[in-house]
Amino acid sequence: MNAVLTLDGLCKSFGGIVVADHITLELERGQILGLIGPNGAGKTSLFNLISGVVPPDAGDIRLNGVSILARPPYQRARMGIARTWQQMRLFRTMTVLENMVVAPREYAAESILNLVFKPGAVRRADEIACEQAMRILERMHLSQCADSLVTDIPFGQQKLVGLARALMNDGPCLLLDEPMAGVEGQAYDTMKAVVRQEAAAGRAVCVVEHNISFIKDLCTSAVFMSFGAILEQGSVADLLASKSLAELYFGP
Amino acid sequence: MDYLYSILILVGIYVVLASSFNLIIGNAGLVSIAHPIFFALGAYTAGLTAIHFGLHAIVATLAGAVVAALFSLMMSLPSLRVSGDYLMITSIGFQLGLLQVIKNVEFTGSQGGLSNIPTPVTGPYRGLVYSVVSLAIAAAVVWMIRWIVRGPYGRAITAMRDDELAFLALGRDAMRIKIVIFAVGCGLAGIAGGLYAFYYQYVSPEQFEILASAAMLTMVVVGGMGSTLGPVVGAVLLIALPQAITFLELPPGIMAPLQGMLFTLLVIVFMFIRPQGLISPEGPTPLPGHRHGNRSGPR
Repeated sequence: MNAVLTLDGLCKSFGGIVVADHITLELERGQILGLIGPNGAGKTSLFNLISGVVPPDAGDIRLNGVSILARPPYQRARMGIARTWQQMRLFRTMTVLENMVVAPREYAAESILNLVFKPGAVRRADEIACEQAMRILERMHLSQCADSLVTDIPFGQQKLVGLARALMNDGPCLLLDEPMAGVEGQAYDTMKAVVRQEAAAGRAVCVVEHNISFIKDLCTSAVFMSFGAILEQGSVADLLASKSLAELYFGP
Repeated sequence: MDYLYSILILVGIYVVLASSFNLIIGNAGLVSIAHPIFFALGAYTAGLTAIHFGLHAIVATLAGAVVAALFSLMMSLPSLRVSGDYLMITSIGFQLGLLQVIKNVEFTGSQGGLSNIPTPVTGPYRGLVYSVVSLAIAAAVVWMIRWIVRGPYGRAITAMRDDELAFLALGRDAMRIKIVIFAVGCGLAGIAGGLYAFYYQYVSPEQFEILASAAMLTMVVVGGMGSTLGPVVGAVLLIALPQAITFLELPPGIMAPLQGMLFTLLVIVFMFIRPQGLISPEGPTPLPGHRHGNRSGPR
């Protein structure tokens, strides 16, 4: 049992639409798990269930063996579940660096009492977050746009900032929602390299992605979902060779 | 001279109201328009505690601030579940409902209002003392709000306003920030209420109706939503302008509707010509060794 994240019989439906149908899944240290399937298969919904944005109807979610079902989203993030969003959801009136500096697991300035009684500690925490953010941006070749407004940089780089911001959370689990949609060229290579490094550093990574070559290059294993259920699970090569998958994706 | 003092005192009170309202609606993006009811809670609490318990004006005003801050929970708790238009409708309901209570219970003086509030200052310098106190409180409030919104706390508030879901998923406790913002903003409105009660020695329920919400909103919008100095400019302008019109010596048949239309007219003009208000938001203090991106212009 060295699973970082365990999903145990997770169910969720919105009215008649089933987005999670008894999902049971384990995510291990250093693993890059690909989550594939047609639109509406429940991939993003699964991320929403894990990060606590949406409560499940049944089942359990465990982080390092401890159930996190009763925890609100912000506590799950502090326990080390970092995620990105398909639509990025960057803070649009802030610079790249400011977007990242509000993102560490612990943010000293979140309490106004700290601000009044421990201004020194708040300032130090801010400086540490700032240094950490600059290191991440450097790794992603983004340091030159640290002081640009996020809305002023190209789409591919905004996508990288989405990942960079999630990396401010140095926890054990990283969920990436379509990191490659709309990304090409250098940003694509950077994204791939960084995800690989994060897994090598011992994180459990789960990627929702339509870009099959990205999945093939990167993922150690994959899960194929359709209508909220896991249809097949195994190595990427096995999954891609599967007939039923090809039928569901491309039609019979 | 008394006329000038009365304007200065009103300016002080409305700078406090507009600035604290801007903290809630502009900086934190919490669309409540119930701010006048917290002004009322401060004024009534200060007046009542001074009349019945003989509290000193300063203590009574602080009591008003505390009561307003406590009642602000009735705004921050719904804001956990609803936001945007829905929060605004909730806030209107809250404001009108509480105002109905004030109008119908006996101890607030009902429709007739609360009169005979004792004044701590009498004599020839009353107006001067009140103006100095009022403007000093206004300056302190503006300074305090600037301190809140410019540091790392302000960065968190801005992030929450920009995208609350992403903010939560980063591990930030948005609820805690909302409770603090509403408590601080509404508590400050309570202080303005205390000041008002002790200067006029009379509080009536009509002045806290929706029209008062519109006036405060106009000050924030015209001055510049989300900027610290914007509401100050807005408050000064919108207190001074109706006074200035009286010097035009227009016939009363034109004067009264003109003053009434002024606020509406200004909002409409600003929406088209300068949506960011007179003063653009300046954003939080740059991080050490860094600068801001270009923040000017409408968002």
